[in-house]
Amino acid sequence: MSTATLEVAPEQSAVAHTTPAADRVRVGALLSEVKGPLTLAVLLYVVSSLASIVPLIGVVELTRTLLPMAWGQPVDADHAWLIAWIVAGALLVRAVAQFSALMITHLADADLGASLRTRIVDHLRVVPLGWFGTRSSGRVKKAAQDDVGTMHHLVAHSITDMTAAIVVPVATMAYLLVIEWRMALVALLPMVAAVILYAISLGGSMELYQRYDDSLAEINAATVEYARGIAVVKAFGQAGRAHARFADTCQRFITFFGQWMRKAGLSGVLMEIVSSPPVALAALTLTGVALVGSGVPFIDVLPGLVLGLGISAPVLALGFGFQELREAQEAANHVGELLGAAPMPEPAHPREPQGNDVDVENVTFSYNEGSLALDGVSLHLRPGTVTALVGASGSGKSSLARLVPRFYDPQAGAVTLGGVPVDHVAGDDLYQRVGFVFSDDYLLNASLRDNIALGRPEATLDEVRSAAAAAQIDERIGQLPRGYDSVLGTDAELSGGERQRVAIARALLADTPILILDEATAFADPDSEVAIQRALSELVRGRTLLVIAHRLYTIRQADQIAVLSGGRIVESGRHDDLLASDGEYARLWCATGSDEVAPTHIEGNQA
Amino acid sequence: MIRDLRWVLGKGRTLDGMIALAVVAAILQGITFVLLVPLLRALILGDIAGAWLWAGALTAAALGFAITLWFSSVLGQKAALDLSVGLYDRLGDKISRLPLGTVDLALTGRLARLTSKGVMQVATVPAHLVRPIITAVGTPLTVVIGMTVIDWRIGLTALISLPLLAGGYLLTGTIVRNRDSKYAAASAEAAGRIVEFARVQPALRAFRGSASSNDELTRALGAQHKTYRSLLLGGAAGMSIFAVAVQAVITVLVLLGTALTLGGSLDVPALVALLVLSLRFVEPLMQVADLGSALRVSSNSLAEMREILDAPELPEPTTAAVPADASVELRDVGFSYRPDTPVLTGISFSVAPGTTTALVGPSGSGKSTLIKLLARFHDVTSGQVMIGGQDVRELGTATTMENVSLVFQDVYLFSGTLLDNIRMGRPEASDEEVFAAAHAAEVDEIAARLGDGWDSQVGEGGGLLSGGERQRVSIARAILKDAPILLLDEATSALDPVNEQAVSRALHHLEGRSRLVIAHRLETVVNADQIVVLTDDGRIAEVGVHATLMANDGPYAAFWRARTEAAGWSLATS
Repeated sequence: MSTATLEVAPEQSAVAHTTPAADRVRVGALLSEVKGPLTLAVLLYVVSSLASIVPLIGVVELTRTLLPMAWGQPVDADHAWLIAWIVAGALLVRAVAQFSALMITHLADADLGASLRTRIVDHLRVVPLGWFGTRSSGRVKKAAQDDVGTMHHLVAHSITDMTAAIVVPVATMAYLLVIEWRMALVALLPMVAAVILYAISLGGSMELYQRYDDSLAEINAATVEYARGIAVVKAFGQAGRAHARFADTCQRFITFFGQWMRKAGLSGVLMEIVSSPPVALAALTLTGVALVGSGVPFIDVLPGLVLGLGISAPVLALGFGFQELREAQEAANHVGELLGAAPMPEPAHPREPQGNDVDVENVTFSYNEGSLALDGVSLHLRPGTVTALVGASGSGKSSLARLVPRFYDPQAGAVTLGGVPVDHVAGDDLYQRVGFVFSDDYLLNASLRDNIALGRPEATLDEVRSAAAAAQIDERIGQLPRGYDSVLGTDAELSGGERQRVAIARALLADTPILILDEATAFADPDSEVAIQRALSELVRGRTLLVIAHRLYTIRQADQIAVLSGGRIVESGRHDDLLASDGEYARLWCATGSDEVAPTHIEGNQA
Repeated sequence: MIRDLRWVLGKGRTLDGMIALAVVAAILQGITFVLLVPLLRALILGDIAGAWLWAGALTAAALGFAITLWFSSVLGQKAALDLSVGLYDRLGDKISRLPLGTVDLALTGRLARLTSKGVMQVATVPAHLVRPIITAVGTPLTVVIGMTVIDWRIGLTALISLPLLAGGYLLTGTIVRNRDSKYAAASAEAAGRIVEFARVQPALRAFRGSASSNDELTRALGAQHKTYRSLLLGGAAGMSIFAVAVQAVITVLVLLGTALTLGGSLDVPALVALLVLSLRFVEPLMQVADLGSALRVSSNSLAEMREILDAPELPEPTTAAVPADASVELRDVGFSYRPDTPVLTGISFSVAPGTTTALVGPSGSGKSTLIKLLARFHDVTSGQVMIGGQDVRELGTATTMENVSLVFQDVYLFSGTLLDNIRMGRPEASDEEVFAAAHAAEVDEIAARLGDGWDSQVGEGGGLLSGGERQRVSIARAILKDAPILLLDEATSALDPVNEQAVSRALHHLEGRSRLVIAHRLETVVNADQIVVLTDDGRIAEVGVHATLMANDGPYAAFWRARTEAAGWSLATS
């Protein structure tokens, strides 16, 4: 025998809808539209990388030309000037090519960003309405603004960095190996050492980076707990203990941070030292002097000295950009995930419903492959009647109500409207027949008139006003300095209850024959409760109403009450019959004290 | 920035040490470059012995560079740890001292961000930013000085170019800054529009259907794109000037060097060395630009932290006064968050010991603020709040809290067990007392519902419980604490009517003490010893008992009529 306790489950709409990995748009696909500019940038970077080596070679050739001067012999001055001017030219080419390449990548990044944002917005238009839960707008903002922005490094820098990191060392080594291979090998040593060190440090670093992220999240959570709970701990005189707990968490983090720095940080410094110019220079000069001492001509050793320094720098730059690259890839994954969310299929051959009967036929539904929210539910809504759904949180009443305006599609069974399953009804047609008023008012930051007339933009001001009057909000709007032209959020700040009445006015004007209502709207704002109730009474007049009920006494006059529990309808009928049959409904009625609510039971004792 | 860092560290010896070593490292790096000149001279002239000498000197300098750089980094890491410790200590301490009323969700969010990302950004400034900047600037400077010593003409040319390059860089910054702020504004607008678009999507689809285009959004995205391109092009213009200037400087040095050598006043080894140095000394300077913007981000974090650390605290008495009894009195209390928007004005009433005062009024009338003043969430702007005949400022926050129990709307539970959360009410209470309080507040049901009974976890912030259940736990705590004064906000979410019933039954166990209640239930109001009615601008409209106020036929009577009408309402389509 079940007790009359109502189960509590977290709000279903707060569950984050995740896209299965297989559906995510891949990073490569996201970047495909800027393939052209990026390829051009790579080519320019190849040119600039090669051009960066020319001046160094020029120095060697200039030395070769001018060397005889050291022994007082004549030199070919014209040749020297030619080399000098070639060097100047190469510097210019390098600067121009590099600059152009970076401009191209950055502009490509700008264009890609704008394109991705538009794609995200377009995708939002076709995603099932049920996708939009309590956290979805934050998620969207993060993906569209923050993540797209973080991808900057990926597009604007990493590809060009990689090009330089390949071309410069390869070209330099090719040149040096031809001239004097021993110097070439010594020049290679620092870079090889740095790469080996890097590979070693990378080995454990993935896990370490993950722990770093986790530790930051832990500190974040500990701070939230400490700050949010500070009133409580002070109220009970335990601020000291809470402070100590927080300090402990911080200390643990600092200990980890120290380890992390010693591992990741110091190995980074080691790489920096090993590939730094002084170390490279020391190795090269020692080798060079030894070679000259053993008879190798100076002019063959010089290239190694001059060019050997520049090999490691581009490779190092890649290493320093690693953190940004990692973050950029994460960000790209988030964007891909959002774009991969399964769209709601529009019917290829829409049919027109015959009449406005709503039938829920043996519907089974669950969110995200979790437990069943609805399990074989059937219900019929006769036109012009009130059907109330009652049950505990998590019993499935919100899910059931949301199937009718096609927030979701059920996994089995169907919801039909006028004999046609709703997924075969054209979207426009469906929403002309089915309206909804939920506790989220979905008002735009636009003028009140535009908000109310959203469904019928051609409505006259009089029609708008009469809808507002029926919704008990016309007087309030009249008090605003700009009246119906007041823009929500800028000109007008309305309370929760006032906003609800604007939403009700909107629904009144749209005048759909079927209406889905969440009774929570009625008591969102205790000050406006009476006004909202009057507005709702106006709204539901003459329509087919499906209401998600929370307070049983408000739906006692419904034509049909369906009691849900665990995703099934366990009882249905009219109020008096259900009470008489002494089942689940009767138990709920008693447990909520609904029988004690009538005003006549409240007596003053201060007479 | 360095100044702020030293302030956090207390004494700046680690930081100073790091900076000193970094400077030495930068100079040594420059010296290894400069030593190329005598080395090349020796090699060209075939002086192998001399060449070995100079190679040795160069190697020694390189070794010195490696060692000083290493130790500078070690000190940089120590500074990072010290900074973290310092910041966490200060922030943790400050959180415990901030006036309770200022710790809202927004501040909590800021604090969380600062303790995680913010501290990291600031702590890594010495090792990741200061040190590389010193190297990036110190080495070229050393090289240029060396060049000047070798040949004053080339050196001077290089020296002159430095301020020109710096000027070019700053000019770029100015061009960029203006476009940057335009871009930031456009981004914020676009972000807002996107959030709104997502938020109202159900309505857009339901009311506008497939015709739903959103001109505002398209326009905002377009503006964002345009301003970003403008920023890039502006930045590019500046960068191109800078790049051309850099190449021009190097070109001048190359041509000048060639001319001087051909003219015989510069020897070839010097030329070679100088050319290599010219080609290499500018690169590090380019890095400074990137580092500069990272420095700005960290600087902003630190500034935000200082702002919080400098926030005013409530004054505490050196010796706490003692309340005479459980009476509460408000004398001409006025309060405002900002000087021009008063929330409460001229509030005067008292609550006799053991009586119940109900607080009633429209939302925005300041009821929750008033109650919070009694728990010293803020200090009043004018007037006095007295408990037991003593001003709460004389009692101090700790004593005030000892005498008061709070049952508010927003209940925060600690991630821990159900039992621990109740025991918080009075940690030294016996097990029987804890269970008795839990039972009185009807928390046994919650324990039965959660998997592990009394040892069940309640989730972060109590998230595994509904709002009504959390309030019951809060009531259990208050019952356990058994303080003489109770401050209660009756609002519960009516989404959970069974909870509402349990809460109202549980509240019966908190009678017999002085109670100030923000009343929502008609039963409470009717039975109260005193009803205080507030206006929507935070003044007292009426004071009295139910019968008297009904007879007055004023705001209270209107409120009563509205509530009873609302209670009897039902939905019907006919």
